[in-house]
Amino acid sequence: MKVNKKIAIEHLGRVEGHGGIHVEISQGKITRVNMDIYEGSRFYEEIILGKDFEEVAGIICRVCAICSADHLLASQMATEKAFGIQVSRQTYLLRGLLLHGSMIESHALHVYALALPDLLGFDGVISMASKYPKEVSIALSLKKLGNTIQEIVGGRAIHPINPIIGGFGVVPTPEQLLGLKEQIQQRLKEALATVDLYAQLLPLPAFADSPTTYTALEPRELRYSYLGDLIQTSTGEIFPVEDYRKVCHERVVSHSTAKQSLYANKPFMTGSLARLNLNHKHIKGIAQEVQQRLLPDLPNTNILHNNTAQLIELIHSLERAIILIDKLIKDGLKPEKPVQVTPKAGWGVGALEAPRGTLFHAYQYDDNGILVEKWLPGHTIPVFPVPHIWSKFTQLKTLWYISH
Amino acid sequence: MSKPKVGIFGLTSCAGDQLVILNCEDQLMELANAVDIRDWEMAKSQNDEECPLDIALVEGSVAQVRDIETVKKIRERSKILVALGTCAVWGGIPAMKNDVPREVMLEEVYGNDVRFIESKAAQPLSSFVKVDFNLPGCPIEKEEFLQMMASFLHGDIPEILNFSVCSECKMKENVCQIVYKNQVCCGPLTRAGCGARCPSHNVPCTGCHGPIEEVHYDSHIKMFQLKGIKPEEIVHKMQVYAAPAWMPEKLMEEMQHEGE
Repeated sequence: MKVNKKIAIEHLGRVEGHGGIHVEISQGKITRVNMDIYEGSRFYEEIILGKDFEEVAGIICRVCAICSADHLLASQMATEKAFGIQVSRQTYLLRGLLLHGSMIESHALHVYALALPDLLGFDGVISMASKYPKEVSIALSLKKLGNTIQEIVGGRAIHPINPIIGGFGVVPTPEQLLGLKEQIQQRLKEALATVDLYAQLLPLPAFADSPTTYTALEPRELRYSYLGDLIQTSTGEIFPVEDYRKVCHERVVSHSTAKQSLYANKPFMTGSLARLNLNHKHIKGIAQEVQQRLLPDLPNTNILHNNTAQLIELIHSLERAIILIDKLIKDGLKPEKPVQVTPKAGWGVGALEAPRGTLFHAYQYDDNGILVEKWLPGHTIPVFPVPHIWSKFTQLKTLWYISH
Repeated sequence: MSKPKVGIFGLTSCAGDQLVILNCEDQLMELANAVDIRDWEMAKSQNDEECPLDIALVEGSVAQVRDIETVKKIRERSKILVALGTCAVWGGIPAMKNDVPREVMLEEVYGNDVRFIESKAAQPLSSFVKVDFNLPGCPIEKEEFLQMMASFLHGDIPEILNFSVCSECKMKENVCQIVYKNQVCCGPLTRAGCGARCPSHNVPCTGCHGPIEEVHYDSHIKMFQLKGIKPEEIVHKMQVYAAPAWMPEKLMEEMQHEGE
């Protein structure tokens, strides 16, 4: 068919990483849509081979700055499983708190600084501040809170250093956590004020409606959570995380240095909307009220609502972080040495819900604790089945879906 | 005086150093008012990709043909070019296994048919263009970044630290990871600026800020030897962030010298 129109967007703005889009139209129909990722290859899959188990997580978290805490923990969980290590309840709860910090930072950045300017007609968050100073100031303080949680628990907001195999280098003090709790309570009130602004933008344009398969981890306990041992799909299938390869079939495409993942030969979606579609029955508290106000009909297949889902999850993470701090304090937060590690040959999968999608790390170690085999999701930007580069222009997912 | 025109760019990287700029939540609006940010793909959708710039902040390593063209173009339009982060300054983690041919890496990661990827062994910016200031860190430290920008705005030359993490570690009164814990800690060889983050969390330094220029090789080698730490172990760790060849060479040289 003769191509009679081409649309080329060479650089996508407000995206972490480098990408462009090429669209071909023939006789009024879109015949081809390529999401091109230009990011240089860093070969993480290859460079971590031969590394000592203690080095792996610190190297691999550098795949992505935004979700470095998530990569770090997924990696450490995979290593711990390979060695048969059980961490303490305190470590488990502190890790949960760290993940909420990451979720708060990433969602605040994405919803307010990357997506909202589009919906409100600005070229970025800095120019948006001229008309919406209060909202931008709230957004920045929410983002800062997410970073503060990661600083206190993780030792650094980007590429955390305090979480180590088996526990933490230093356990935060009760005073630090109680100080955090106060900040979270304050930010939660402010975040609710931005829900009003967001509500004014509804309904979102319907062009992005694209029924597809959604996948997310099934929460370990009966509540809305980012940790789980089973992968569930909107087609009703359940797989243990060890079978991640039944869900993610990676392929290389010639227009992108990032690989694409398919499930049952089709693109599928992970991330906030996927999680909410599959797990919304577990959402409670203020987050549930916000969900009923902004996104009452679930499951929803308009992928622009990924932003709405992120806002709901942001509120949820703020609430959960408070609960986790209360639990940690009630249990008697104490300095605690990491679990002693004896390396041994073994294989392990670490899985969790990162802000922008499900994350799997799978490692094989030899007797000396040297990494000999690994599987990581796509190696440049798309560390998730659905490249999170898509989440800014979520409608791209629709276009890509049409083209394949 | 008109506001300095600023461009912020990322080559092959995790975007962490640009994210540190966005993480200056308390100063971001003030900074954005003090300078004129003309080109910042990660944060804005309307960018002037041609205008001359007073300051270019460039993150990431040069790891593909496209990156070489990009960094040369940035150099041509900029008065001051800053290498932002360890990847831009030293090559960073992507340069860790530069000795392995790219064809082998490509096949390992992508499979056979990958001729469309023009991958290069990852290099620091200075391999291709003149760099005016180096601000290493993986990621850069917020305070150091803001101090550097404040210096530029005042017409000063930024002071880039050149002493080791040990100095900051001592100021924090940490227990030494090497002397008391026999850990392979890169602190003595690594540029300060982080406030000794890792040792302050009871974790040995991994060298993520890259090396200082004047290492006390002989005394460090003696200390490592005394604690039973092989220089190979230190070199292995420093090479994770692609310390330049002179550093491990010098260490090994000194080691042999000591052994004689």
